[in-house]
Amino acid sequence: MKRYLIPLLLIFLFIFEGLFTQLFPADLFNGDYIFVPRFLIISIFFLAIYGSVKHGIIYGFLFGLVFDMVYTEVIGIYLFLFPLATYLFITIMKVIQTNIVLVSFVSLLSIAFLEGSVYFMNLLIHITDLDFTSFSEIRLVPTLILNLIFIIIAAYPFKRQFEKFAEELRND
Amino acid sequence: MPQFFLNKRLIILLVSIIILVALIGFSIRERDELSWAEKFVKDTTGFAQSLVATPTQYVIGIFENMKDLQNTYEENKELKKHLEDMARLEAKVYSLEKENAELAEILEIEGSIGDYDPMQATVISRSPDRLWHEMIIVNKGSSHGVEKNMAVMTARGLIGKVKSTTPFTSTIQLLSALDPTNRISAALQGDKKLFGTIEGYDKENEWLLLKGLPVDAEIEPDQMVVTSGLGGVFPGDVPVGKVVEVVPDQFGLNQTAYIKPEADFYNIEHVMILTRGMAIPEQIENDEENEGEDL
Repeated sequence: MKRYLIPLLLIFLFIFEGLFTQLFPADLFNGDYIFVPRFLIISIFFLAIYGSVKHGIIYGFLFGLVFDMVYTEVIGIYLFLFPLATYLFITIMKVIQTNIVLVSFVSLLSIAFLEGSVYFMNLLIHITDLDFTSFSEIRLVPTLILNLIFIIIAAYPFKRQFEKFAEELRND
Repeated sequence: MPQFFLNKRLIILLVSIIILVALIGFSIRERDELSWAEKFVKDTTGFAQSLVATPTQYVIGIFENMKDLQNTYEENKELKKHLEDMARLEAKVYSLEKENAELAEILEIEGSIGDYDPMQATVISRSPDRLWHEMIIVNKGSSHGVEKNMAVMTARGLIGKVKSTTPFTSTIQLLSALDPTNRISAALQGDKKLFGTIEGYDKENEWLLLKGLPVDAEIEPDQMVVTSGLGGVFPGDVPVGKVVEVVPDQFGLNQTAYIKPEADFYNIEHVMILTRGMAIPEQIENDEENEGEDL
């Protein structure tokens, strides 16, 4: 049972993101801002740093593919960017110390990188023609605020869960 | 040079960029159908999503009912007023419909482009990647008779069209999507029907843009905009919204009307997928093709 805990958690977060968007009162602040839940990638970051890097990148790849198929219907963007963001996150974490506050901060930074790259890719394939200032005002900043709140709530439970997972991996 | 090729990371990066470009190219071209792999993944997640969504919506329904109870008294007074009008209106609609049917029979007209069969569907998920992809996923699919490009509305008006279907779910692209290929043929109701296409969405004011209206047409605010039914798949006379403002377009050859949509694009729970009542005359299309071949 314990072995399936992490895939189950990730699948739950994946479905929860869709449900959250559906149920979130979008007309909050007149509907001027868009809050994008990025809970799945946050848990993948924490898995990569406290669990194992290999698992983190593989899950990033898998869930990126499923995310593309189900939520965007443009295959490739998240498939490429989920593992890349995780890799970037790990590379930064190698340089600085793994303290929970710093991990939270760097994962927020990686989400900003992810959002920015998704914007530029969509600009490139003409899905949008929004300018960067409006993008950052409408979507980037609100998204970072929402995910900061999520990180504050979930950072500690995630850390404990993934550390347990890493220990099991070592024992095997 | 050999060192360049030995750099494993660089090779991985290059290969993945090639795959990325190929996959994006594969998926953004006009596709009639999704691949079987996508259908399988979407159906599986759709099943899990509806498992989670059904109880959640039930719980939220209870809370909303409680909220409704607070202003029951006020609403009741208001509704009683409407009820008196309703009875009169109902009688009138009945006699008009009967008259219309009789007249149609005399003239031997079968069906109109305004005919449609609504199919109820419940929203099970919404794409988190909002702003780029304004899509909702509903629990009716191709096995229930949903087809690509069908019109989708809520009780208040048109909200979008079916983007893709799988056997048990379908994905609906909302009118508020920024996608420039999201076009719908629409008409302005008035003494003389004026036609244009709905394309584009003004994010700031939450208005739709109706483009291609004749430059000499006099358009007044508050005129109703409905679907024209001329696109082939959409039924006609589905309400879209009301005109707010009219401006001449970039070159002064046409006019663009800003429309305030009737439907709410945020809180969508139940939708109706519209099957066009009148068949599309395929015969004519085939004849035209044959003629073309003969020439």
